[in-house]
Amino acid sequence: MNEHDLVSLLVVCQLAAPAATLALVGVPTLLGQPPSERSTSRIVGGGFATAFIAGLLTLAVLASRDFRPEIVHLGSWFSVGHHEATIELVADALSVPYVCFSAGLCGLVNAFASKYLHREPGFTRFFLLLAVFGTGMNLMVLAGSIDVLFAGWELLGISSTLLIGFYLERGNAVRAALRAFATYRVCDVGLLAAAVMVHRAVGSGDFNRLFGENWPHGTCLVPAATATIVSLLLVFAAMGKSAQVPFSGWLPQAMEGPTPSSAIFYGALSIHAGAYVLLRCEALLEQAPLARLALIVIGLGTALHANVVGRVQTDLKSMLAYASMTQAGLIFAEIGFGWRVIPLVHVISHAILRSLQILRSPSALHDRHELEAALGGHPGADRWALGRLLPEALQARIYRIALDRGFEEMVVGRLFVVPFLWLIERAATLERRWLALLGGDPGPGGGRS
Amino acid sequence: MGDPPLPMATMTHPPELPAPAELTDPATPSKADAVPAGRIELIRTAIESAARFLPTQGPIGVFIAQNALQAFECEPFEEAVVHAARLYGTQPYLAESRYREELARGRIRAADLESVLDRDLRGGAAALLVNGKLTLRDLRLTLLLHSVRQEDDAAVRWTLTEQDVLERLRDDLSPEARWRLLSDGADTTDDDPNERLPDADDEAARRATFSLDDETGKSDGERHAASELWHACVEAVALSRPSIRHPRPPVRLRDLMQAVDPAVDTDALVHPLLIRFCAAFLDQGVAAWPMPGRERGLLEAVARMYCGRFGPTEPWSAQLPQALRRVRGVPAVEVIASELQRLGVPETEWDEFVTRTTLALRGWAGMIRHLEERPDRAPVEAVPARLIDFVALRLVLDRVAAEWASRQLGFRSSGTDDATSPQPGNGLRGVWTELRDRSPPQRGPGSLARAFLLHQVSQLLGLTARDIRNLDENELLRFEQAITSFDGFSRRRLLHLAYERRHRIETLDALAAHVRFATPSSSSRPLFQAVLCMDERCESFRRHLEELGPGFETFGTAGFFGVPMYYRGIDDWHAAPLCPIVMRPRHTVVELPEHEALSRHEFQRNLRRRIGQLTGGVSTGSRTLLRGGLFTAFAGAVAAVPLVARVAFPRLSARLGRTAAELASQQVPTRLALEREGEDFLPDGTHAGFDVTEMVAIVRRVLEDIGLTTGCARLVAVIGHGSSSLNNPHESAYDCGACGGGPGGANARAFAMMANDPRVRSRLAADGLVIPDDTRFIGGKLDTCADTVTWFDADRLPESHRGDVDMLRRACTQACIADAHERCRRFESAPLDITPREASQHVEARSVDLAQVRPELGHATNAAAIIGRRSRTRGLFLDRRSFLVSYDPTADEDGSILTRTLAAVGPVASGINLAYFFSAVDRLGYGCNTKLPHNITGLIGVMDGQSSDLRTGLPWQTVEIHEPLRLLVVIDATPEQIIAAASPLAGVRQLIENQWIHLVSWDPESGTLAVYDQGTFVPYVPEHNDIPVVDRSVSWYAGRRDHLAPARVLAALPRKSTPAASHHS
Repeated sequence: MNEHDLVSLLVVCQLAAPAATLALVGVPTLLGQPPSERSTSRIVGGGFATAFIAGLLTLAVLASRDFRPEIVHLGSWFSVGHHEATIELVADALSVPYVCFSAGLCGLVNAFASKYLHREPGFTRFFLLLAVFGTGMNLMVLAGSIDVLFAGWELLGISSTLLIGFYLERGNAVRAALRAFATYRVCDVGLLAAAVMVHRAVGSGDFNRLFGENWPHGTCLVPAATATIVSLLLVFAAMGKSAQVPFSGWLPQAMEGPTPSSAIFYGALSIHAGAYVLLRCEALLEQAPLARLALIVIGLGTALHANVVGRVQTDLKSMLAYASMTQAGLIFAEIGFGWRVIPLVHVISHAILRSLQILRSPSALHDRHELEAALGGHPGADRWALGRLLPEALQARIYRIALDRGFEEMVVGRLFVVPFLWLIERAATLERRWLALLGGDPGPGGGRS
Repeated sequence: MGDPPLPMATMTHPPELPAPAELTDPATPSKADAVPAGRIELIRTAIESAARFLPTQGPIGVFIAQNALQAFECEPFEEAVVHAARLYGTQPYLAESRYREELARGRIRAADLESVLDRDLRGGAAALLVNGKLTLRDLRLTLLLHSVRQEDDAAVRWTLTEQDVLERLRDDLSPEARWRLLSDGADTTDDDPNERLPDADDEAARRATFSLDDETGKSDGERHAASELWHACVEAVALSRPSIRHPRPPVRLRDLMQAVDPAVDTDALVHPLLIRFCAAFLDQGVAAWPMPGRERGLLEAVARMYCGRFGPTEPWSAQLPQALRRVRGVPAVEVIASELQRLGVPETEWDEFVTRTTLALRGWAGMIRHLEERPDRAPVEAVPARLIDFVALRLVLDRVAAEWASRQLGFRSSGTDDATSPQPGNGLRGVWTELRDRSPPQRGPGSLARAFLLHQVSQLLGLTARDIRNLDENELLRFEQAITSFDGFSRRRLLHLAYERRHRIETLDALAAHVRFATPSSSSRPLFQAVLCMDERCESFRRHLEELGPGFETFGTAGFFGVPMYYRGIDDWHAAPLCPIVMRPRHTVVELPEHEALSRHEFQRNLRRRIGQLTGGVSTGSRTLLRGGLFTAFAGAVAAVPLVARVAFPRLSARLGRTAAELASQQVPTRLALEREGEDFLPDGTHAGFDVTEMVAIVRRVLEDIGLTTGCARLVAVIGHGSSSLNNPHESAYDCGACGGGPGGANARAFAMMANDPRVRSRLAADGLVIPDDTRFIGGKLDTCADTVTWFDADRLPESHRGDVDMLRRACTQACIADAHERCRRFESAPLDITPREASQHVEARSVDLAQVRPELGHATNAAAIIGRRSRTRGLFLDRRSFLVSYDPTADEDGSILTRTLAAVGPVASGINLAYFFSAVDRLGYGCNTKLPHNITGLIGVMDGQSSDLRTGLPWQTVEIHEPLRLLVVIDATPEQIIAAASPLAGVRQLIENQWIHLVSWDPESGTLAVYDQGTFVPYVPEHNDIPVVDRSVSWYAGRRDHLAPARVLAALPRKSTPAASHHS
């Protein structure tokens, strides 16, 4: 077995292991005989462990040859003339460490959840969704073409949505899930459009036709205009998953699911998916100063927004959601500055810290007592140093803006949702009229306006 | 800030009196310029009456188990649960299906149902139905034993299309009913020769039917009988019309709107905003930035902040700034008056209107009320919480939302006729009147549903098509009425009574059987005695101690050991009360480092402070922009160490942490500053410790309570209890209830110090209570989660008692391991064949595991309380389900000890029992449902997810295995003694008379039992006289997870030789 085959095998293993657990747990469940709690968590955990070990081995192989990237060609989805949609994975200095990190974190959350969700009615569902998430995450990370990336991206989105709405019987949870889903779908348009652009520009979705694969020193192979358009579209796509202003309203609401899923999605992996995609395409960004400027503006804006709004949040999970958002914003800005390793380290570091904080969030009272005991008194409100300098009336105004979460919901509602719904209504009306004009029966729904 | 002084004695003013001039406030711009004093009084009364129904739970850091229906204790239990269910929209009992499962597995028996039914029906049992073919009792018993679906037309239509219910008879018919139905079918098949059975003879027909039955599962005869009966039912039902009821329309505008159009829900608009306001107002330090102006109260703070017109709003709240501008500076009561007037709510309905409005978000409202009454219970800083502010704010928001919604509703409902769209001015009043008229009538079940119900019930009763056809209209109506009047609530009530009856019989039978073996403790002096909390979780610990040998004696009493105090431990920064919630301590006790360890203590404290500052800085810093950015980017990965360690190796990492802490700093020896010097009061109005007279009274009282006035052993252990767990907002719910949700170790320690004091002893001896000179007391704390015991001041005991202490330690360690093993049978994640050693490690791991949502099961499964001599219950396996209170009736001539025991035990035990009862009965309505999405808010409570009502009650994980049963209180005293002892205690009497607890008298002489029933004690006749006998507890519980019946454990009996005992299992 030569080195290429070995790496290919390991890379496929990283992808297939979580996917296989999905089948191992999912098929018996569909047949009405879900495996026991213990075997469910062991199967899913085993998948993550396999992916983690395969990742480490790949890392060792890559390290031995100076991280020269390895492209794994799995096949072709379809090809029309010069166009080809290939299924390709890539193992390089970005994807392999990231796979190790995400599979390891998934494994830990799996271990945590196997106790935390003990006897919960949705136990199997949770682990299935975790397996979907792990598969999607690895698919997205290892993707060597934008088509594969899109597939992983969508798995991420759907598992995130279904876990926010884990408690189907609670209206709030379902509404929040729908809210997140809508944001995802809107921003997915960006990725889809980027994919179309890439195909149009280079006749394939492969990254190696787009930029020389040598992370973090890739070279852009397409003209600057194409790079700019694709980059802007990717930034748009990333804004949704990574909860950047003005698409951040869903994140605090997403804290409706069980604590472990909140930790891994909105403290650790899902929230950084956008950043990962941008890092993956850093060579394009290199050629697209406009997109980088946009990243800096959006990132810093989000960080500022989340930081101010986070200061007035009175519940642990919202507070942590805004804390995550602040860091995600900073990471965006770092990518915009053209840094590579710093944002990657920041992502991993932040993900670990934040997921621990979210997992521990029910300990808030305990921690508080410990802290009070240690300090011999209340730690005191950590007032915003900058805020204290402002006049009181202004402080009250800023507080109100923060309490209303920066009016984000209302602005988005006014500027996007209402016109969009109006447009759809109009379209529906027009269609009915058109049908009526053609002499067709408007149908049972025709009378409604 | 506050309301202007109001004439409080204006209750008598008729409402139509003109307003007193001093009440008009020029700042009130609304038309309700002048609010008559009578109205203000009405509003205040309405607020007070609404407040009664709010949850009484305070900030979650101190969780006290209380009856969820405290406001209803003045009503009989069975009525109260129904009234509460109507008010809160909750369940009065478990779901019918749950009871039926219990019926199927024999936990409830048919005999129980018959018994409770007979008692319920009294004279009416024999009333005849269906032309005298059956009695009311038959009908009800059948409906209790069999599940009959009562569905609406749509569901029935679905059932009829999708299932073959009309072609076959039910599976659960009695053979007799089945036979009757089939034979009738055989008789009436003349019209259809194809279906005629070979022989008209009944017996032959029956044989034919059954033989056919065996082969195909469904015979022609059966099909015929079922469908014939169906036709008869349809014809019968067609004789009368379905009923239509016009129920009173809902009082709240929101409910009214929803009744008219289910898609309109103004609460869904108002609640997110209101929750945000309440959370920001009450926050105790989660947010770095407190709400500005909250010292002015909720209403004023919100009004000031939101009256400015800037920034976009939600569509519904466009008018909110305007509405709030009018509210600024207006007293809340006037705001409420003007809002009520605007809505046109008649004064007679104010009470209900305000109550329903307040209860729509009852968790938050309850917390505001609680902090209004007990500002001292706020964890960090008291805010000027006032329920009236909350109601006023809520009404303003409600009105703004309703105005918006009514525009939507008017637009949506008619399209052309816009009569309901509100005119500016008195708009909502018109909407309200209009909506009341449009409020849809409630239709009774349609004819299909009625026919189906009749079909099902007739089968069960063996009524044939002919029987139904023979009914005239009146008789049929009477029959239908008899079926429907026995509705779900009535059935569940009886099922529940039967459920409780079976438990009562099981327990009382065991007591009656065991008491014959009960022997007074042997005359020789016991090796040592242990006084524990009455908590039912201590039952197993005591039993395992007693199993170690006849020389081990145990007692139970309220776990604060008569020492009510504010206590500040060496690591605490402020004193917390340790006593039952109904008491307010008058003494403060602090724990101090020993003199020789002062410098070490000082060093450690500084170290801790520095570590605290560091960790506190890290956790807040990680959330900020600049510090957080730098920190998370470069040091965040360090968190991988605790993350991996805590999640993957919880027990190991906890041990490592503890060892490291111990290595770094040896435990500082401490003492309690128990005795006060001088009579000065502390700033909080308490004494700094107790004086000797008070100590004498405390020691005397406890020793008298438990009947330990003579025969003290050389060593008496006093063991309080607490619980340690991680990642658990409800942690304090597992602590000692008698210590007001705190750990009781300090109380035990204080008591032991008092009882060891020679001055106390000489004063006691002078009064006739002699504690032997060689008796020493030692305090300890049992961790009910990790199953460990910590001892206090053991080194202060004289050299002569070292051996006794060593023996005590060894015995308690053994008992802890055995106790852990017994507890593990309840944890599904612990294998049934776990060894005692593994069990001990398992429970320890649970207490330190971040991922563990059931560190222990708390008071779950509690069902009984036995107040009496331990000698009567010693050796009885009670499955950790009984509170055990030591009380010696032979030493209580005037009944005063029983009175004070009942006064302390009654509220605590029944509070715990009823808290678990209701959280288990309705985990959504009374409990706080599953812990998984819980989100700590403001350090005062938990929400579900990011925006919900504050969830009160107990989590599902805690009550999951609980059997909701009212507490069965068995008292070692005659009925007369009990009645006399309870008579001065109004609260306890109310609990007894209204059946919130079941009371049983256990005659101290004869051992006969008598059950309290509506004012009298009815002698109890045991159903069985034998009781399972096992040698040790473990042989009774091993390999079993469910609730266990009592058994006699030979090893725990005071004398080992029990003659003629048959060994079970």
